Amino acid sequence: MEKPIFELKNVSFSYLKRFLALNNLNFSISKGSKVVLMGANGSGKSTLLSILDSIIFPDKGSVEFMGKELKESDFMEHKFSQNFRKRVGFVFQNPDIQLFCPTVKEDIVFGPLQLGVSNAEIKKRLEKLVSVFNIGHLLDRAPYQLSIGEKRKVALASVLAIDTEVLLLDEPTAGLDPQTTRSIIDIILEENAAGKTIVTATHDLHIVAEISDTVHVFGGVKNIVRSGEPAKILSDEEFLHEHNLVHIHRHKHGGEMHTHEHRHLDHHNHE
Amino acid sequence: MKKNNFLKTSIMGALSFVKESLFADEFALKKGFLQGIDPRFKAAVIVAFVILVMLLKNVFLILSLYIICLILACLSGINMGFFLKRTWIFIPLFSLIIAIPALFSVFSPGKEIFSLNLLGFKLAVTQQGIDSAILFLSRVATSVSLMVLFALVTRHNQILKVLRIFGVPQVFVMTFGMCYRYIFLFVGIIQDTYISIKSRVGFISSVNKGQKLVAGNIALLWQRSYQMQTQVYNAMLSRGYTGEPKLIEDFSAAIKDWIFLIIAATIIILMLWKNQYLN
Repeated sequence: MEKPIFELKNVSFSYLKRFLALNNLNFSISKGSKVVLMGANGSGKSTLLSILDSIIFPDKGSVEFMGKELKESDFMEHKFSQNFRKRVGFVFQNPDIQLFCPTVKEDIVFGPLQLGVSNAEIKKRLEKLVSVFNIGHLLDRAPYQLSIGEKRKVALASVLAIDTEVLLLDEPTAGLDPQTTRSIIDIILEENAAGKTIVTATHDLHIVAEISDTVHVFGGVKNIVRSGEPAKILSDEEFLHEHNLVHIHRHKHGGEMHTHEHRHLDHHNHE
Repeated sequence: MKKNNFLKTSIMGALSFVKESLFADEFALKKGFLQGIDPRFKAAVIVAFVILVMLLKNVFLILSLYIICLILACLSGINMGFFLKRTWIFIPLFSLIIAIPALFSVFSPGKEIFSLNLLGFKLAVTQQGIDSAILFLSRVATSVSLMVLFALVTRHNQILKVLRIFGVPQVFVMTFGMCYRYIFLFVGIIQDTYISIKSRVGFISSVNKGQKLVAGNIALLWQRSYQMQTQVYNAMLSRGYTGEPKLIEDFSAAIKDWIFLIIAATIIILMLWKNQYLN
């Protein structure tokens, strides 16, 4: 059996050693899979992604990448660090943090340049991403001049330019209009079809079914309360309600007020 | 009333900064003569011209360089009124403090043109004083105009990259670039914060209250920038940054750049040669 790409054993983490963010997580992520980390705000999804990207390290427990435990001391070693960064890419929730270069073009090529990719290859990747994301007109623009949708596209392109095996995505569609959301999902699915492992943190239920084959739901005590197939989890309304992932939605139908659960999933299809 | 309105002044300040920057970028994006020149060549020529201005001792030669600068500005699609206003704001700032005392015999002894009697103290304006003041003023005017022209026709990110050819380490170039990029983010936060305060409390008539609000927000902004610094560093680490940044070098020189360089070099040589004969 193939080794999981990530394996977490009893992982806990607290900010400033006081504020618990992750509580005893145990799960694994297999190569080429689509995993969604689902949970309400502040449930620990972003912290977990940071741990998977080895930006922060657990207080307790261990994280293994391809069978090797990730330790902070390993990242002091240039070769190990560069090798890991070539294989794992992280798209941050706030694109203003991700896009720190003066222009869009510099941001897209930043990763491959640091990782020693040849100039010819960088040029090739840049051209491909420009055509996939349709962002040719933005290349010389400064990130502050972009809309939130454009920023999210460029942030994703800046990580795809590294051509990693794993993509960690933190709320990739937050605050986007339906069309931009669709184009981002299509790109994510294409990357997965090309063999990349996709781990997405989100509480946007209407995208979960498409971008996952396994869902891990975070609970109020910063642990995983349920893992499984998206269809089963998304159809359990009581469970979703309990974990703050649905809300009551009131609107008018034929002049009468109508109340039902709002799951951001299929609520607009009802009669 | 004007004095009291700290919030309005802060919002207007932030807005005008963004407006000015966007306006400046507009010129750099135009399809003009200097915009089409490789930034490295452009920077080298402008710096060489500024050095030339310092070496020339003849006012007419300096003024002819000033005219060349104005012609280049015209060819680059820069509005002359805007350019003159922008340059002549700085010129008195740099020159008056030095130029005015230089007029008088105390600093420039020589042929007396006229004298003033100030509280029993005789101040004489000399021909040599007027000459050196004019020379100084023309040097400042030409140098400032050349630098303003360069800044207007070159995108800020290219200006930063050009620093590399003067041996500035990549880490500084990258830090400058990031500073410039995040100034806009924080200016946006300042604007939003003050607009939200205004929408909730309206007009603040008390100077003390206005000052307290502005001071409080400076502290808050500092905290936010400090927090963001860690996050940005993490985002850099995540994309392979190891403390020694590598930046893209995407300049490419064309024949027109070399022709521009040769013409500029010829002007410099001719002016230096003429300068010897005129003095």
